[in-house]
Amino acid sequence: MRISTLTIYNQHTSSMNKQQADVMKVGQQIASGKRVTTISDDPQAMTQAVALSQSQAVTQQFVDARIGVRNSLGQEESVLNSVTEIYSRAKTLMVQAANGTLGDADRASVGSELKSLYESLVGLANSGDGNGRYLFGGYQDDTAPFIRQPDGSVSFNGSTEIREQRVDADRLMPTGHTGDEIFRQVHSSAGYLVDASPANAGTMTFGAAEILDPSDPQFGQAFDLSFGGTAAAPTYSVNGGAAVAYTAPQDIAVGGLRVRLEGQPAAGDTLRIAPADQGNTDIFKTFERAIAALDTPAITASDKANLRNSIHVVMNELDNGLENVLTVRAEVGARFNELDTLDAISSNRMIGYKQAMSDLVDLNYVEAASEYSMRMVGLQAAQQSFAKVKDLSLFNYLR
Amino acid sequence: MSIFSIGLSGLHAAQTALHATSGNISNVYTPGYNREVVLLGENNGNGVKVNDVQRQFNQFVATRLNAASGSLASLDTYGTQLRQIDNLLSDDQAGLAPLMQKFFSALGQMASNPGDPAARQGVVGTASTMVSQFSSFGNYLDDIGRGVNEQIAQEVTGINSLTSQIARLNDEIQLARGSEGNAPNSLLNQRDNLVHELSQRIDIRVNEQDSGSYTVALGNGMPLVSSGTPYQLQAGAGQADPTRTMVSYVDGSGNPRELSEDHFKRGKLSGLFEFRSESLDKMQNQLGQLAYSLATAFNEVHQQGVDLNQQPGGALFGIGDPSVFSHTRNTGGVEAAVSITDTSALMSTGFDIRYGDDGYTVTRRDNGKAVAVTFDAATNSLSFGGVELTLNGTPASGDRFLVEPLNNVVSQFELLITEGSELAAAQSNSTGDNRNALALLELQNQRLVQGNATFNQAYAGMISTAGNQMSVVQANLAAQQGLTDQLNALQQSESGVNLDEEAANLIRYQQYYQANAKVIETGSTILDTILSLR
Repeated sequence: MRISTLTIYNQHTSSMNKQQADVMKVGQQIASGKRVTTISDDPQAMTQAVALSQSQAVTQQFVDARIGVRNSLGQEESVLNSVTEIYSRAKTLMVQAANGTLGDADRASVGSELKSLYESLVGLANSGDGNGRYLFGGYQDDTAPFIRQPDGSVSFNGSTEIREQRVDADRLMPTGHTGDEIFRQVHSSAGYLVDASPANAGTMTFGAAEILDPSDPQFGQAFDLSFGGTAAAPTYSVNGGAAVAYTAPQDIAVGGLRVRLEGQPAAGDTLRIAPADQGNTDIFKTFERAIAALDTPAITASDKANLRNSIHVVMNELDNGLENVLTVRAEVGARFNELDTLDAISSNRMIGYKQAMSDLVDLNYVEAASEYSMRMVGLQAAQQSFAKVKDLSLFNYLR
Repeated sequence: MSIFSIGLSGLHAAQTALHATSGNISNVYTPGYNREVVLLGENNGNGVKVNDVQRQFNQFVATRLNAASGSLASLDTYGTQLRQIDNLLSDDQAGLAPLMQKFFSALGQMASNPGDPAARQGVVGTASTMVSQFSSFGNYLDDIGRGVNEQIAQEVTGINSLTSQIARLNDEIQLARGSEGNAPNSLLNQRDNLVHELSQRIDIRVNEQDSGSYTVALGNGMPLVSSGTPYQLQAGAGQADPTRTMVSYVDGSGNPRELSEDHFKRGKLSGLFEFRSESLDKMQNQLGQLAYSLATAFNEVHQQGVDLNQQPGGALFGIGDPSVFSHTRNTGGVEAAVSITDTSALMSTGFDIRYGDDGYTVTRRDNGKAVAVTFDAATNSLSFGGVELTLNGTPASGDRFLVEPLNNVVSQFELLITEGSELAAAQSNSTGDNRNALALLELQNQRLVQGNATFNQAYAGMISTAGNQMSVVQANLAAQQGLTDQLNALQQSESGVNLDEEAANLIRYQQYYQANAKVIETGSTILDTILSLR
């Protein structure tokens, strides 16, 4: 075939152009460290890379969410630690107060210490997160959850719903506990409590409720005892039932329970035997009752019986409260463990994603470097071939 | 005949040959030049005569080369335009995916601290960055679209200039043939070169008439050049969609007739049209669909929440309305209005609606397939593909409408809130309530784009579409380049100049000239010999 001079030159320039473009391409890959520099290099890889980067972003969102939850739980845990100490100290004080040899003045001094514990407890219940948000207000975290009433008591004003945060694809974790859960509930396993009205006029005191028969059909119900009759022949009735003669000491057996009563009740006195969650579950009320009881001088036998009953009730309620706080702390600990597990899983996942991403779009430098030298050789060959051919002209020999 | 006249005929032939050779040498790099060869013949026993100075031109090869390079020009134009989109999407900093991810990450922070003004401001900030990136993405595509419109107009101007030059050359060639019996090669070369240039721009058929003039016609037979008369093309606003430049053919009586895009199979015009309908439209609609789904989903959830001022949440994002165009040649005088009724059924395409004797037919613009349509006579409205088209009367048969549900979405995409406190993170009046923030965050995992893709998957779909189109075009371009190179070499092997060959010819014809001069010298010597006899 005839080859025109134009073809020769065109072919050489286009071959040099092509080689140069190849060198540029590899050079660009090396400079950017990416195998895929534009989408069209590998549309499939780029599409997968977009999906992967979304997985990475979502995983990172969960990591961030866990940091937030961990922070809230950490603050809660440290507050609950102090709460536990207060409960224990209050229990110790109540044991002291229960000592019958203590005089009114001694009891009053115990009462004043209890009062300062109560104040600390209110402060702890209204703890903030350091950013003006209350830890135990639930959703309503911009106002103090526990509010002091004009009569000096404390009432709960927060929300009973707690914020949740998505810490993993299928896990919404509560970021803490509400004040209601911590300070105003008892654990579901808390048993029966016996409580005599502080207004009782008699000298009746009670012992612990013993469980005889949990299969009794009435087991789990509350029983209100009211006393009547005369001082010489007292009677009692259960839940407004028929009056039964009372002789101290008297074992009351109801609903599979047995409670031993001692002393003489006055007509109109009442006693309540109820599961803990049907009685008072508010720990602040417990403290208020204890303080009131310790502040009241015990002069008559009736006063003393009431004091003894109150201390008895308060100690039981403190036990239940402590149990409840410990349960909440255990829950916090379990969440920490769960967060640790999720962190470990997600960091493994992240490594996997990074590896996959790198496999998709990153450059193998060894390959690229060898490719680069190969392309350079190609370009040089094209240039040299042009340089040789340009000298090949018949005109060079015609002189 | 005398030895002198024989020698003279040789000298004349040698001169003509040297003239042709030097012409070849001087035009070695002239585009459109065809090598000339001197054809010699015997002059009835009296020396030599020059039969013809023939240009080496093969019409068959030239036609194939024109077709091949026309296809190459089409692909090249398509590829050049597409590369702009490729480059935009390849920049992972400017991409939409990272900005959407940052927005969702900020929502996660707000869910952690719903009462924290900084976390809320983070959401507002990332949302506005995301929205402005959507807009600039949309503007970029709109700019490309306007660029395509301008280029179509430029191509048409170029085509008109080429066809009038061909017509003028037709005249000149006819005139020359009339007076000299043969047209000068240079005119023929020029005309063939113009035809070559024209076929780079538009798909043409060329016929050589007996008179020697070329008839140039479009693929559908409409003539662009007939003897000395050129016919004009005209670029202007499309009849169906005034925002798109279309090409019309102006017939002999001056009436423009719009040519549909599929009339153009080769040349730059075809590349531009193909890019616009296959790639740009698709990209714009996919982007619009993503923005639309994002905005409506967020607005819906956000409006179910309560903001920090204890007010119900408002709309978070604003978007443009769908648009409908009536064809300029509609005779029914019917006004149409369009609204989107079902986001999850919304498709990333425009629709052509045609009213004929058999009622309404609706076809998708992206693939030309028919779409199921229901007509509600009570409201005089059509429902198809998630949109509702309401007409204020009955159109005339043959009336057409164009519905673009998504073309304004991105250009009017905006963030409607400015204060972090307006974000409805709660579902109650409590500041610590994050339930709505969690619901907003959950949107990233839901398949909300046409009911089958998450936001991120929709974006990945755009990348996949553009990337695959680009790699297909590159592969086709390489194949077409190879074919064209081959035909080019074939054409050059016949018509191109080889300098070595011409150098040899130069020597040859120089010696030829010298030999003939020697003949005359010999004749003169003989005559002298005779004259010196005494």
